[in-house]
Amino acid sequence: MNRRPTCEDAAPREADGDPLVQIGLPTGTRSTGFEATRRDVLSLMGFSLGALGLGAGCRAPVQHAVPLPAASIEMVPGVPNLYATTCGACSAACGLVVKQRDGRPIKIEGNDASPLTGGGTCAAGQASVLSLYDDGRLRGPMWLGNAVSWAEVDRHIRSVLDARGRDARDVVLLSQTITSPSTRALIDELRAVFPRFRHVVYDPLSLAALREANRRAHGAAVVPHFLFDRARVVVGLDADFLGTWLAPVEHARQWAQRRTAGTDRGFHVQVESGVSVTGSNADLRLAVAPSQIGAVAVALLAAVTRRMGGDDPGSFGAAGLTQAAPHAVAIEQTAEALVRNRGEALVVCGSNDLPTQIVVAKLNAVLGSVDKTVDLAHPSLQRQGDDAALPALIDDMNRGAVHALMVWGANPVYDHPDGAAFRAALNKVALTISFADRRDETSAHVHAVCPDHHFLEAWGDAEPVSGHFSLRQPLIAPLHETRAAEESLLAWAGRTTDHRSYVRAFWKRALYKPAAGAAAPDAFDDFWERTLERGAIDLPRPPVATHAFAADLEESVREIVARANRAGGDHDGYELALQETVGARDGRHANNPWLLELPDPITRLTWGNVASIAPVTATALGVSTGDVVTLTTETGKLELPAFIQPGQHRHTISVAVGYGRWAAGKAGDGVGGNAFPLARVANGLRTTSARVTVTRTGRRARLSPAQTHFSMEGRDIVQTLALAPSEHEHEHEKLPDLWRERLHGAHAWGMSIDLDACTGCSACVVACQSENNIPVVGAEQVRKNRIMHWLRIDRYVEGDGEDAQSLHQPMMCQHCQHAPCETVCPVLATTTSSEGINQQVYNRCIGTRYCANNCPYKVRRFNWHNYTANDDFPYNMTSPLGRLVLNPDVTVRSRGVMEKCNLCVQRIQLGKNQALLQRRPMADGDVATACQQSCPTGAIVFGDLADAGSRVSKLLAGRRAYRVLDDLGTRPNVGYLKRLTREEES
Amino acid sequence: MSAGTIEPTTGAPETLPATRWIEGTPSLHRITTDISRPMEARPGRGWWICFAISSLAVLNLLGMVTYLFAKGIGIWGLNNAVGWAFDITNFVFWIGIGHAGTLISAILLLFRQKWRTSINRSAEAMTIFAVMCAGLFPLIHMGRPWDAFFIFPYFPNQRGPLWVNFRSPLVWDVFAISTYFTISLVFWYLGMIPDLATLRDRATTGIKKLVFRVLSLGWNGSQRTWSRYEIVSLVLAALATPLVLSVHSIVSTDFATSLVPGWHTTIFPPYFVAGAIYSGFGMVLTLLIITRQTMHLERYITTNHLEAMAKVILLTGSLVGYAYATEFFNAWYSGNVHERFHFINRATGPYAWCFYLMVLCNVLTPQIFWWKRARRNIPVLFVASILINVGMWFERFVIIVVGLHRNFLPSAWGMFYPTVFDVGILVGVFGLFFTLFLLFIRALPMIAMWEVKGVSHG
Amino acid sequence: MAERFLVGSFGEPEGLLAAVSTLRDAGVAIHDVFAPYPVHGLDQAMGIRRSRLPWITLLAGLGGLCFALAFQYYTAVFDWPLDVGGKPENSTLAFVPICFELTVLIGGLGTVGAFLLRARLFPGKREQLPVLGVTNNVFALVTPLQGEGNEAELARQIMLENGADEVEERETES
Repeated sequence: MNRRPTCEDAAPREADGDPLVQIGLPTGTRSTGFEATRRDVLSLMGFSLGALGLGAGCRAPVQHAVPLPAASIEMVPGVPNLYATTCGACSAACGLVVKQRDGRPIKIEGNDASPLTGGGTCAAGQASVLSLYDDGRLRGPMWLGNAVSWAEVDRHIRSVLDARGRDARDVVLLSQTITSPSTRALIDELRAVFPRFRHVVYDPLSLAALREANRRAHGAAVVPHFLFDRARVVVGLDADFLGTWLAPVEHARQWAQRRTAGTDRGFHVQVESGVSVTGSNADLRLAVAPSQIGAVAVALLAAVTRRMGGDDPGSFGAAGLTQAAPHAVAIEQTAEALVRNRGEALVVCGSNDLPTQIVVAKLNAVLGSVDKTVDLAHPSLQRQGDDAALPALIDDMNRGAVHALMVWGANPVYDHPDGAAFRAALNKVALTISFADRRDETSAHVHAVCPDHHFLEAWGDAEPVSGHFSLRQPLIAPLHETRAAEESLLAWAGRTTDHRSYVRAFWKRALYKPAAGAAAPDAFDDFWERTLERGAIDLPRPPVATHAFAADLEESVREIVARANRAGGDHDGYELALQETVGARDGRHANNPWLLELPDPITRLTWGNVASIAPVTATALGVSTGDVVTLTTETGKLELPAFIQPGQHRHTISVAVGYGRWAAGKAGDGVGGNAFPLARVANGLRTTSARVTVTRTGRRARLSPAQTHFSMEGRDIVQTLALAPSEHEHEHEKLPDLWRERLHGAHAWGMSIDLDACTGCSACVVACQSENNIPVVGAEQVRKNRIMHWLRIDRYVEGDGEDAQSLHQPMMCQHCQHAPCETVCPVLATTTSSEGINQQVYNRCIGTRYCANNCPYKVRRFNWHNYTANDDFPYNMTSPLGRLVLNPDVTVRSRGVMEKCNLCVQRIQLGKNQALLQRRPMADGDVATACQQSCPTGAIVFGDLADAGSRVSKLLAGRRAYRVLDDLGTRPNVGYLKRLTREEES
Repeated sequence: MSAGTIEPTTGAPETLPATRWIEGTPSLHRITTDISRPMEARPGRGWWICFAISSLAVLNLLGMVTYLFAKGIGIWGLNNAVGWAFDITNFVFWIGIGHAGTLISAILLLFRQKWRTSINRSAEAMTIFAVMCAGLFPLIHMGRPWDAFFIFPYFPNQRGPLWVNFRSPLVWDVFAISTYFTISLVFWYLGMIPDLATLRDRATTGIKKLVFRVLSLGWNGSQRTWSRYEIVSLVLAALATPLVLSVHSIVSTDFATSLVPGWHTTIFPPYFVAGAIYSGFGMVLTLLIITRQTMHLERYITTNHLEAMAKVILLTGSLVGYAYATEFFNAWYSGNVHERFHFINRATGPYAWCFYLMVLCNVLTPQIFWWKRARRNIPVLFVASILINVGMWFERFVIIVVGLHRNFLPSAWGMFYPTVFDVGILVGVFGLFFTLFLLFIRALPMIAMWEVKGVSHG
Repeated sequence: MAERFLVGSFGEPEGLLAAVSTLRDAGVAIHDVFAPYPVHGLDQAMGIRRSRLPWITLLAGLGGLCFALAFQYYTAVFDWPLDVGGKPENSTLAFVPICFELTVLIGGLGTVGAFLLRARLFPGKREQLPVLGVTNNVFALVTPLQGEGNEAELARQIMLENGADEVEERETES
């Protein structure tokens, strides 16, 4: 498995009509009712093979797209194959390596070869494999709400498109940002086919202001590529760059590289209204109302310029500022750090407010960050949306100026404040097409639904950052009668090329030739092979031309100061702040039960969103957690349960977007409330905040929390260590032992978790769920405190003011060598393996739950119900299709048995087998657990404690290492590295 | 005449004149007929009403346990934090109830307490039935009850030579409970053989005679047998006495050997035994007060008996109260943060009301028995006995649930809320217990005739 | 051949006791006495030796103890030693409770079994009653009738003197 096969491996033998290919097709690709047995696995294998046979028939050229390793050299039944591809869960397009078993993708992993993300993933990316097997997906194209054949739907569409004749109405493609260079090229070609073709791009969470600011400041309307690893001081203004903002996996990786680099840990200040993943990891967090973010930026700029002896702050009107006072000291301190580290400083701002972004641009310019930590020459290509475009489009539609509208990867009816208007305007368009994979809020109202592939079924490429390319190749033949949107477009444009050939041709023409030049004009096949295999590649791109900062600073500052003083003036009102959460993101994954049941790292709530309110505010309003409140803004009204959140700014109510879908599917419909309509588009920019009034309804809602108590009660659970060497440094003494040490076998598996690097992003939680077939139990069971996750991320909060400190702690089975659970099990269902793993024997367990009672870490999970093939739990495990995501290497547990983390023992076995096959001893790093593999910051290190040279041994020998509840003498093999606290900058 | 003077085996002289324990001196024949009446006469309305109610509860139990097996214990209120609640609470409660029976029949026999003679039979029956009720819970509380047999070491087993974990208190329980049940059953039956013979010889219908003939093993009252018989009874009593102490000590190790704050306490074995005897006597009182009224046996179950039991209750109740106090002292004295928190939480946390109810019932209630008039007042005794059993149930609930719902990692704290199935099964098991007892007093001599004869004439 | 007995029935234990001792002084062998409850002092009067059943208890109990200890040691140390919470394979202290329980169980059952055997009691055995009512309110004194008749006469005399309600001759049905 060192060499990753590529889809092309399959090609040659298919050509000779390999018998494998001829395996029959199960009754019709649209049938869903096949028996819910373990034969699902086989049937799907036949399914894909069959689809290949089918491909050879009806979609001739596409046959190359079939990714079956069946024909590839490595294919051994039961041995997984890994394919490099590109994530489609969000526009960050992270490099992935997807594990395929018996022809089905079952596990998403990060691609270590990716220069951007280097092996990390996020929760949504991890969960996206489940969306592939979503029952809610359409089985084929639809015309006017009826299932039809592709030929028919194409006929209808072509007729309308051609009927357009000469009249001068627009053909509009509405999409979110597209980072695929080949698709962008394809869209350009369409302009030739349809004279009045327009491509309208919008993003539910926009950075238009940032691009506009850079246009004015540096002459390039770009989203810069931020380089956190080069920044010793990072100031985040309302930008959750570690959790959800722009490219969180890449940012987290860079940020951690800096933070864990020896003693020079860097300094991270976060300015935000609600608590975000990023804020909870900052060295210094300032709670600031959205309306004051700009003011803080101005104050910071003033403090910085004053220190740099540059132009007098007064010159740009910062003097008039009155509101930033509360944080004056912290701001001075931050400015000091920034100035001291100029050239290695970075200020990022997520606010979609132009003046603020201009001030931030100025800050970065003054601090000399441009071209050092802020790369404008090779910018990020995400978030290219134009906030003004969609409202304009709605007007055009209403004017009847739009003849045909194609909606691709967008759901404006749900995620745009003008969604209702858009929905109404759809009726004014002669032909409306959606490429959505389901009848969602938007596609339910269009003429033709031409379902696109899931990205694991599709070809493609991506360029999330200028010059950083990656390829996408399918892991499985399409499960349903879906078609790549690109192919649909090509077909309607009268082109016959299939998508794969198009991408390949584009790469040869546009990327390979310029790069290789005359050097090796015909070596493209190797290049293509290697790139597919590797997944990611960097190719030269001409730098974007920019100039030094040259925007009208005074004007921006004046506006900010005026606004800040106005808004800050009255403290009776409240502000709403919309935020993205790692589970829900912008709502596109709303039907994914893994993400719905993923506890939010901050609120630890599952299955829904809440209105986060500061404790003092809650007292003032007379609400407590669970009271339903009505949030009313000028554009909308929403009823949500209140949630008391220490660290929340006291005049701000934070609400997560991405919930409240009404046409997402069985799991996602009606979960939480939709907050998008609460903020409006103001002078050409989508805002994420608004003035809001909060009123009590008197009703109570029942939340589904995964954690109800956030105080550590003064116990030494999450330990910290002052950064500066101090008296804190002490050798932790060895506790006495009642019994002689038990000898291990060849290995003693252990794990180290760096609490200073863990951001709480929760990618590992979903990775664990995906790897270990952990069932989803639903809101009701979570409410009963029966969530099944083997790995949870506890959050502890110290203090309940705006300066409350958050501590994240991943908690799973600690694999105690003196395990309390084992002694009490009457039937020897849990024992310590010869390699130090606390193992659970499912078929021996009779479910007395004594072990769970006696586990001080409370990490054991009991199957209170039958979660498979049980209609009370209508999630993937009960659906024949959904069950295809199960990992065949891991038992699906029956009702009434105990389960828990087993350090991915199946991966350990795989690693052993490989070492055996290669006739070599196991080396450190041969085995990576699912959680470790997914971690973007490398906080989790797994290895052999018996090998003193292994990374984990070294880490756990260091002075930061400790064991949780060590004094109980449980002797865990899982250790933690203390979180570092920084001595105040002075 | 006082038997003590010619009794060779007795150590001390008779503590109580035997006559005190039977009103008057009924003839041997009168004793036989009086005690046989409940079995030969038609039952009164009181009996029928009790029987109707309790058998309804049994039906409810059957239904709910069936549903439980079908659906899984998810239908209970248990969760990740609280893995045991009503199930094990009921288990410990019923085991405790059983103890009074053995105590009365065995320990009082060793101490030559003649007042035991009228009540030991029913007390032992109560033991048997209580242990049956208790034994139900380890079975149904399992996630996979159909695999319950895994817990017995047997050979050959298909899992290779895989036995059980003899370090686990749950396995100790299995052995302790089954031994306790067996020995109690044997002791009870052995004690009944002479009376069964009496009934055999009184039997009128052939079928009755046949049944009693089989059961009485051909007993004919031969003195040579009698003398061996008394030796065997003493031996069994001598075995049952440490056994009864061991059983609840072992049950207490389910908690004492764990590391859960509030469970991990060395005081548990004596504390649990005292509590067991305490609750057991409470239950005996309840039962006897009912039966002596409904079955008109006041002559044999006298206020003197009730008073004697009230004294035992006063003693054991005070022991339990002392244990409560000791727990709190030790928690404070240990300086252990988790231990201290547990007891603060016990007294001030969300389940504090259970704790105070427990103290009220178990510590304060029995104090009334310092007054002789209370000890001899039937209504007072009855109410007290009920309160004591309520309190003892809550004692186990407090120990188990409060210990589990908030321990080491605050992130994993939770609450337990009982569901209708938790409550329904609790009620149902009481129904089972009373049904069995009601059938017993109709089918078998609930007072040992031969012993009463010995006491009144011997 | 059928054995012949002399059966005297008493209503009160006192007379019975007196009769028994007088008979033995007179050298008359006593077959057995039947009573509704164990009459104290009768053993001495009849000269019945104290039962040796407690020895059975001791042996059976020791047997149980040894079995328990050996079994637990064998399964935990030899047959399939497992690492259970890092505890030593031979966790003797943890074996104690079960050792105790099995001692009691086997000791108790052994004793009862031995008793039933010795007393020849078994389910369905047809009872042999000298007179009806020995299980209710009659005390029966039984002496064998063999050899010359004057001893029988003596026995009958003594019984009547000590207040026997009636004295009759009975034969065992053989």
